Amino acid sequence: MATDTEAVPDSVRHPMRVTWDVWSAMYLREMIARTMADRMAWFWMIFEPVATVGVMIFIRTYIRGGRNITGAEFVPWMIVGLMGFYLFREAMLRPMGAVEANRGLFTYRQILPIDPVLIRCFVEGIIRSFIFLLFILIGSLLKINMIPDHAFGVMMDWLSLWMLGVGLGVLLSVASGLVPEVGRVVRIITLPLLLISGVIFPVTYVPAQYQQYLLWNPIVHGIESMRLSFFDSYHSIPGINMTYLWMWALSTLTLGLVMHVRFASRLKAR
Amino acid sequence: MIEIQNLYKRYHGPHGGGWVLKDISLTIPDGVSVGVIGRNGAGKSTLLRLIGGMDTPDRGRVIRKGRVSWPIGLAGGFKGSMTGRQNVKFVARVHGIKKSLHKLIHEVQDFAEIGKAFDDPVNTYSSGMRARLAFGLSLAFDFDIYISDEATAVGDRAFKAKAREAFQQRVDHASLIMVSHGEGTLKQMCQAGIFIDEGKAHWFDRIDDAIEAYHRSTGLITDVADEDDDEEIPVDQLDADSLKAQLRSLKREMNELHKQQIIAQYRLETTTDEAEVANLQEEKQSLRRKHQLARKRFKELKQHKQVSA
Repeated sequence: MATDTEAVPDSVRHPMRVTWDVWSAMYLREMIARTMADRMAWFWMIFEPVATVGVMIFIRTYIRGGRNITGAEFVPWMIVGLMGFYLFREAMLRPMGAVEANRGLFTYRQILPIDPVLIRCFVEGIIRSFIFLLFILIGSLLKINMIPDHAFGVMMDWLSLWMLGVGLGVLLSVASGLVPEVGRVVRIITLPLLLISGVIFPVTYVPAQYQQYLLWNPIVHGIESMRLSFFDSYHSIPGINMTYLWMWALSTLTLGLVMHVRFASRLKAR
Repeated sequence: MIEIQNLYKRYHGPHGGGWVLKDISLTIPDGVSVGVIGRNGAGKSTLLRLIGGMDTPDRGRVIRKGRVSWPIGLAGGFKGSMTGRQNVKFVARVHGIKKSLHKLIHEVQDFAEIGKAFDDPVNTYSSGMRARLAFGLSLAFDFDIYISDEATAVGDRAFKAKAREAFQQRVDHASLIMVSHGEGTLKQMCQAGIFIDEGKAHWFDRIDDAIEAYHRSTGLITDVADEDDDEEIPVDQLDADSLKAQLRSLKREMNELHKQQIIAQYRLETTTDEAEVANLQEEKQSLRRKHQLARKRFKELKQHKQVSA
């Protein structure tokens, strides 16, 4: 056999370059896995949110009556809330399994446990953003008013919700790697989280004296802020503050990254 | 070159873990292929993982100068839902290969010889095909040091021969650190040896010395085991007939051994060749030991017969 093999540029590569190579390789791998691995994976990727939005609208219309939202149309209001929440939820949940799912890759010492986690967060955000744009496009074609009033504001709020999910996702990926029960508990509490985040029922339904407790939840801030940017005439509860959300996002992200550095070898070894 | 300085490693099991490796300091020079031997669970694979950078030591450090491979033939990093080609591309990209990606893929494809399956998902592969792909992938990269954990033991006979040949070509300009229980393979591939025993690593400049040290450490046990494995049924489980039969055969054996001893003694007295003398002395020793064992067993059985009678 001819042995004119490929020189591995390992010794001359800068650490940043190694990380970049790993990230680009993992990004492609993750994208292929998400969109093409299963039969019809790409179809479900798009159809699943459509179906959930449809079910939610059905529940709200026929079971818990009343489609009145002050200052916004009901269907776009619902779509914006659900898409924002799913962005957060997926960015939080997906990274939790990332370390376990990519255990085999730690054979290549270039890959650290943080790499699959960050890549999953990124891929999830890209996919969700794509789906959201698709919703806006199709909604507009169907004459549902899905064009945001303040596009830049919506983009910022979208990014904020994403970062909140990433922060918690990175933190929980370490926590669930060290204590597997954490993953289960988090999965259980995502449904109540959907209910208390004002995604399906408007937060204005909540009596005024309890609204302050609702505002402890950073997701409410993100979703309501996004709706405020989306619909010019929308009215939400007072006290929506994006700085509060960013405090959550950045502090969990920082803690998560520190824990990844601290426990890298333990995550790898198990 | 690989430098290991004061390396400690322990595993944190549910019941606490003892030290697997204790205070190991070694230098593996460039161009020297090393075989790592030791008992099961002695920490051979752990040492290899530490050298390969897949695991971090609890104390001390490993300094790698040069490009060190991942363990050859390890298929753990393959994603089952992706094709062989996609998996190969992924590993190439992780290692920073862009321009010559196609050449590399071609080479892996040639070596693995799995035909059209190269474009099928890896989870449709048989274990042999997986191993071929993994092995081809490792050899397509040009490393300075290859590490291998029982790697040549994959695939069918033809592939094994091919793998070994490719391996040896590679070893000409790169070195190899391998864990194996196959002493033939070790002697063929390696010059130096590391013998791991009770958490300590001992360096030997010659692989033969390392193997000998390994044998010596386990030798006493295996010697006894070898001699004892003539169907020794516990005495009190024998019935009267087989007891008689055994006694008879033992008596015959003892007579035979005694005769051989006498012959050996005679030859020893008459021979003049010095090499022959040593040989004969050894033979006499072993005959005497066998004779003693047989006699011991004979006595035991006889005693038992008297007791039961």
